Amino acid sequence: MFRSLYLARRSAVHRLDPRTKIIGLLALSSLLFVFNHPLYVSAVALGVVGVMALARSLLNLYRSRYLLLLSLLLPLVMWQFFMEGPTVVGRVGPLVLTREALLFGVASGVRFSSLLLVGLLFASAVPVEEFLIGMVRLGVPYPVAFIFSLAVRLVPTFGSVLTTIVEAQVGRGLDLETRNPVRLTRNLVPLFVPFLVCAIRYGSQLSMALESKGFSISAKRTYVRELELRAADYWAFAFLLASAAACVALRVAGYGVIPNLET
Amino acid sequence: MTAAIQIENLTFTYRGRDEPALAGVDLSVAEGQFVAVMGHAGCGKSTLCMCLNALIPRFFRGELRGAVVVRGRAVAESAIREMAREVGLVFQDFESQLVSTEVEQELAFGPENYGVPREEILRRVDKYLSLVRLGELRGREQATLSGGQRQLLAVASVLTLETPIVVLDEPTSDLDPANREEVLGIARRIAESGRVVVMVEHEPEAVIGADRILLMREGRVLAYDSAEKLLSRVDLMEEAGVRPLQMVELFRKLGFAQAPLTLEEGLELLRANKRAVRRGPGPDGGGAGGPVILEARGLSHVYPNGNVTALSRLNLRIREGEFLAVLGQNGCGKSTLGKLLSGLLRPTEGEVLFEGERTGEAARGALARQVGYVYQNPAYQVFAANVYQEVSFGLRNFGVPEAEIKPRVAEALEAVDLKGYEERDPFGLTRGELQRVAVASILVSRPRVLILDEPTTGMDYRQQRGMMEMLTRLHRAGHTLIVITHSMWVAAEYATRALVMRGGEIILDGHPREVFAEEELLASAHLKPPPVVQLSNRLGAGALTVDELARALAV
Repeated sequence: MFRSLYLARRSAVHRLDPRTKIIGLLALSSLLFVFNHPLYVSAVALGVVGVMALARSLLNLYRSRYLLLLSLLLPLVMWQFFMEGPTVVGRVGPLVLTREALLFGVASGVRFSSLLLVGLLFASAVPVEEFLIGMVRLGVPYPVAFIFSLAVRLVPTFGSVLTTIVEAQVGRGLDLETRNPVRLTRNLVPLFVPFLVCAIRYGSQLSMALESKGFSISAKRTYVRELELRAADYWAFAFLLASAAACVALRVAGYGVIPNLET
Repeated sequence: MTAAIQIENLTFTYRGRDEPALAGVDLSVAEGQFVAVMGHAGCGKSTLCMCLNALIPRFFRGELRGAVVVRGRAVAESAIREMAREVGLVFQDFESQLVSTEVEQELAFGPENYGVPREEILRRVDKYLSLVRLGELRGREQATLSGGQRQLLAVASVLTLETPIVVLDEPTSDLDPANREEVLGIARRIAESGRVVVMVEHEPEAVIGADRILLMREGRVLAYDSAEKLLSRVDLMEEAGVRPLQMVELFRKLGFAQAPLTLEEGLELLRANKRAVRRGPGPDGGGAGGPVILEARGLSHVYPNGNVTALSRLNLRIREGEFLAVLGQNGCGKSTLGKLLSGLLRPTEGEVLFEGERTGEAARGALARQVGYVYQNPAYQVFAANVYQEVSFGLRNFGVPEAEIKPRVAEALEAVDLKGYEERDPFGLTRGELQRVAVASILVSRPRVLILDEPTTGMDYRQQRGMMEMLTRLHRAGHTLIVITHSMWVAAEYATRALVMRGGEIILDGHPREVFAEEELLASAHLKPPPVVQLSNRLGAGALTVDELARALAV
């Protein structure tokens, strides 16, 4: 049984209008790109963690800790191969380590993992139905929003189909623990084919069901869910605006940049 | 008075097929009627349903001749969206009808599509949520609901469209007996409220409350008459490939002209004619079974994701040569038990022993070879280009040499009555054939024990008999069989031992004759013995089948 990321909690963030949260998602993500000095990026990242705590969703942070660690370290390591600044601090074999590249790498790692965190925060605090109506009220065409919400609804269903397929095929002796990449790829076929067949059949039946309920892309429709911006939303907007203004001002004033870097 | 549904000489051939799915169908359904549609698999029942809301010919292309007029509208000239205002269609697979993550939103989806005002939608959501008795599920995430609840949700989500005609295509196939009763009750309530209800069904007991029955065969109408009249026509039911009502079959065999439809009527009739039990059912052949082949000791299993305790400290001994039926409601733990016994799952506590040997981590693969598990839905396993590849998959994984594989595949295919199917494309087979291929692909490893999860669900009567006869042959050839099922008559007729589970525990265990006599305990597990067994229990006859009871009551 798959569980969705959404955490049903009462929190200041949960109570906000979904439009506020969508704008917040975009805003927080953008703020992570304003600076490239790791110290400043980390400050923004801490802000994200703070909002997550406010949303009482740190559980999802804990659940994704390995993924987050990976996304922190991978860019850090990779940038050392692709970048070289003027200040050399050491060598590892043929690889030259420079201060600028290390700083950039750390910032990049923090940024990447924070982007994931923002995504997690969003998924934890916004139920799919709210997201759908929020998007629609922000002007996204209904069919687009609908497809997205449908995809989310399908995660547990397809998850359990895949689990059953894996269970059935492993029970017939399918080896999924082989280290040989060629063999492993070939062994994915007995998983992929039944899954694809199920997915296609599902898609076809879903279309029939949608049509049979009068679903139409162009027709005017009602939305049972109603949205209302409240005081808390305006405060949230104010907070986002203030943070954005502060970050931009700092950047313009020359802070938050790694010295000696051309980028 | 104009008919609600008027069909004249309807013939439809799906694009790309040679044979018509429907041939010269004439049908007239008046306002407020409850019509049950029955017939063998492939006789055109679903096709007929889809002709009512314009899915045919708009979604499914093909050659359509004749006329379908629903409430004055010619369906062939209408868009699906228009027809969907008149005809609400509930499909068999409820999973693919649910589009939302929230219960209320699911019910609101239909009317939202038509721009129905918000207050009206909310009123309808309330009304139909109560009608299907899911009121306490408000605000729940759909993924946390059980299968039965989701089917009820799917029905409710069509009801909120408030269409004058409601069509249900096999709404109870995948449900256990208790949930089946729920859905049928709702269908009856809808019909009583004045709407036209068309319901496709396999089980004759389910359609006793209908006004009329439409029997179909090979795309044609075999008979269309009042339910009472048709249910007593064993000959017509059999010709249509539908299982006759057990009560009707019994009284025909006893030589009665009239046929009671219910248990009470049957008892009355027997009393009035002074019929009593004259002889017992006869000895049960086979003996007590051989040595213990599979054993569960203190078996407990908790699913990690939902913290659901599926089994608690279960003890079970299965003897070689038994044909065991495991019965119980959905969620009682029977599938979990099956998977644990075959090594597909590792128990959180306790152990499974095969021939007295513990099956720890390393031996689990070996256990899977000795105890084969056949899934309910063959679609989860089928992937190969031809039947040979599919059936031999397991053997190749276990490293069996190619020279040995060929004869074993042939042997397995013959055992399931699919001799010579090696080159066939599995995706071109019927559901029944595919299920047999799935059985063959497990049989090929020559397991000593075979566990089958719901082998007869979703099949018509003939396919069910075919499957059970095949399993009986395997049983006689020496295999130990465990069948997990909710079909009570299948268990009564074929099993040598029955297990009833409730809440992760075994509450009854014994020969079906003993088990099915315990009606109260069965009721606590939301199960009922088949009608003929219920009658037999009242008479003290100890019979399990129509034939046995007929013999017991014969003068």
